[in-house]
Amino acid sequence: MNPHPDDTAVAVAGSDGAQPALAPPTDPAGSPAARVRGARKVFGRTVAVDLIDLDVPAGSVLGMLGPNGSGKTTLIRMLLGLTRPTAGTAELLGHPVPDAAAAALPFVGALVEGPGFHPFLSGRENLRRAATAEPLLTGREIPAAVETALERVGLTDAAGRRYRGYSLGMKQRLGLAAALLVPRRLVVLDEPTNGLDPAGTRDVRRIIAELHTGGATVLVSSHLLAEVEATCTHVAVLQSGSLVAAGELSRLLEADTSGLVITTPDVDAALRTLRGAGATAFLDGDGAVVVADGGPPAPEIIALLVRAGVAMYEARRRRPRLEELFARLTEDTP
Amino acid sequence: MTPAPQPPPRTASTAPLGRLLAAEVRWVLLRPRTLVMLGLFALIPVVIAIGVVVADGSGGRGLIGATAGNGLVLPVAAMTLALTLLLPLAVAMAAADAIAGETAHGTLRGLLLAPVGRLRLVGMKASGVFVVAVLATGLIAVVGVLAGLVVVGGADGQLVTLSGTTIGLGDALGRVALVAAWTVGQLAAVGAVALAISALTEHPLIVLASVLGGLIVFGVLGAIPALDFLQPYLLTSGWTAGADALRDPLPLGGMGESTLRALGYAVVGGGLTVALMLRRDA
Repeated sequence: MNPHPDDTAVAVAGSDGAQPALAPPTDPAGSPAARVRGARKVFGRTVAVDLIDLDVPAGSVLGMLGPNGSGKTTLIRMLLGLTRPTAGTAELLGHPVPDAAAAALPFVGALVEGPGFHPFLSGRENLRRAATAEPLLTGREIPAAVETALERVGLTDAAGRRYRGYSLGMKQRLGLAAALLVPRRLVVLDEPTNGLDPAGTRDVRRIIAELHTGGATVLVSSHLLAEVEATCTHVAVLQSGSLVAAGELSRLLEADTSGLVITTPDVDAALRTLRGAGATAFLDGDGAVVVADGGPPAPEIIALLVRAGVAMYEARRRRPRLEELFARLTEDTP
Repeated sequence: MTPAPQPPPRTASTAPLGRLLAAEVRWVLLRPRTLVMLGLFALIPVVIAIGVVVADGSGGRGLIGATAGNGLVLPVAAMTLALTLLLPLAVAMAAADAIAGETAHGTLRGLLLAPVGRLRLVGMKASGVFVVAVLATGLIAVVGVLAGLVVVGGADGQLVTLSGTTIGLGDALGRVALVAAWTVGQLAAVGAVALAISALTEHPLIVLASVLGGLIVFGVLGAIPALDFLQPYLLTSGWTAGADALRDPLPLGGMGESTLRALGYAVVGGGLTVALMLRRDA
C-alpha cells in the first residue's frame, strides 16, 4: 500500500492493521506527525491536488502557503480523513487515513474550513457538545476542559452568549477553542486568523508558540505570509494543486540569500574597486551594487570601499522575505 | 499562559455511546424549533376538543364527529389526523437538521473529527429523530386523553366504541397507547427515509421537500384505482388503520400489515443512510 518501503512508518501502519484501533498512537521518534504520498484529488474535471508528497515533521510548525484554490484545504481534508484521496495515501501520527483515522484523531485538534457551531446554542454549550464527542475526556472532565479552552482563546466573558450573535473573530476563537479542548499531539489550523483583529492574530501566534513549546506539531494554512514567517519552522508552498517548495523556513530563505547589497552614488567606482579585489560584483535592477558571497567577507568589502573613497549610503545583507520567495514560487509557474 | 498539561495515558478511541446519545437528545431538545413544534402538537387535541364543544354535539360525520360525548375517540382522532401530514413533517424536520443541517453548519465535520465513528453517528442521529417522533406522538396522545376526559367527558368510565359497545377506561387507555406505538412505528419509517435523504444532501430544505412531495405522490398514487397493485407498497396506504382501535372487537390486521410495511421502509432507509454516511465527504 505504501509506495516507500524504506519508510519507518510502514512498520507502524502494518502493525496497526492487525490491532484494534484502541492503543494510543506509538509512532517511532522521527516519524512525521502527518504525511501524504502521491496524494491526488479530483473533483469532476478539476484536479484539486495533484500528486503531492509531503511530510509534516513531528514537533514542527508547518505553514502551508498558497494562493486561493491551490489545494491547501483539500490536502488538509485528505489528511484528516474527511475526504478520500482519488489516489495516493495519507498518514496521521503513523496511522493510515482514513481507514485507521480513529486511532489518531483523538490526539488531533482541527479547525478546518472555518468554525462550525450551532447558532442557537451559547459558545459554552457549543463547546460542551463538541467535548462530549472527545474520546479522551471523561464525563467529569468536560466542564473544566471547556472552561480552560474558553480561557485560552480569551472567550470566557462571551461564553454565555448565543453563537448567533458572535462576531467573525469570536467565532474563529471558538473554533480554535474546540481544537484545543484536549492536549493534542497535532493541531491543524486552516486559516486560523481569518476575521481576527490584530489582538486576535497575536493570540493565535501565542497559542501556536505554546503548542510548539509543549511539543505538539502544528499544521497551519494561511495566506498571511508575515504570520507564517513569524510562527513557522517549516513551510510548504502549494500552487495549482502541486507542491512547489517544502522544507525548513530558514533553509528555504537561506538558499535564496546571496551577497551584500551596497547603495552608492558612485556605482562605477564601486564596481571597479570590488572587481579589482577579486569579488563578484554586479548591478541589480534597482541600481544597487550586489556583491556575491564567496569572495572577501563583508567587513573587508566595506573597508575596501571606504579606503578607495567610494561614497556609501548603506550596506546590508541581501535577505529575501518570505513574501518575495512566495511571489517567485507562485507567480513564475504557469 | 500556563503550558498545556501532559496528555494522560488514555486508550479510548471513541466517546461512550451513552454520552453521545444523551448529548444528541439534549441538542434536539435545546433547539427552539423542536420546542415550538412540540407545543403546537400539544395544541392539536385541544383545538379538536374545543371545536367539538363549540359544535355542541350537533355532530357530523367521520372520526371528529364521533368525538362528541366520547373521550376515547379524541386522542385517536388527533393522532390519525396528525399522521397524515404534521407528524411526518416534524420527523422530516428533525432528520433534516440531523445530518444535512449539521453539514450546513459545519458541525458534522467536528463530530467526525472528534472522532465519532460514522456508524455511531448514524445511531446517534436516528435516536434523535426517534425521540422527536416519540415525544410528538406521546404529547398528542396524553393531551388528547386529558382533553377528551375533561372537555368531552368520561361518561362514568365507560367509553363507547365505534361499533357501539362500551369498554372500560383501562382498556381505552391501552388502545390509545397501542395507536401511539403504531404511529411511532410509521414515523420511524418516515424518519429512516428522511435520514437517508439527509445523508445525501447538505440542504435541509431538500429533505423536507422530498418527504412532503413523497407523501403527496403516495397519496395520489393510492387514490388511482388503476394503480391498486401499488397499494401494498405505499407507506401511506395503511395510515387510516389507527381508527381500528375504536372498533370492538379490536381488529389488528390493518395495523399489523402497515407496521410490517413500515419496517420494510425503515430497513431500506436505515441501510441507505448507513451506506451513504460511510462514503460521505464532510
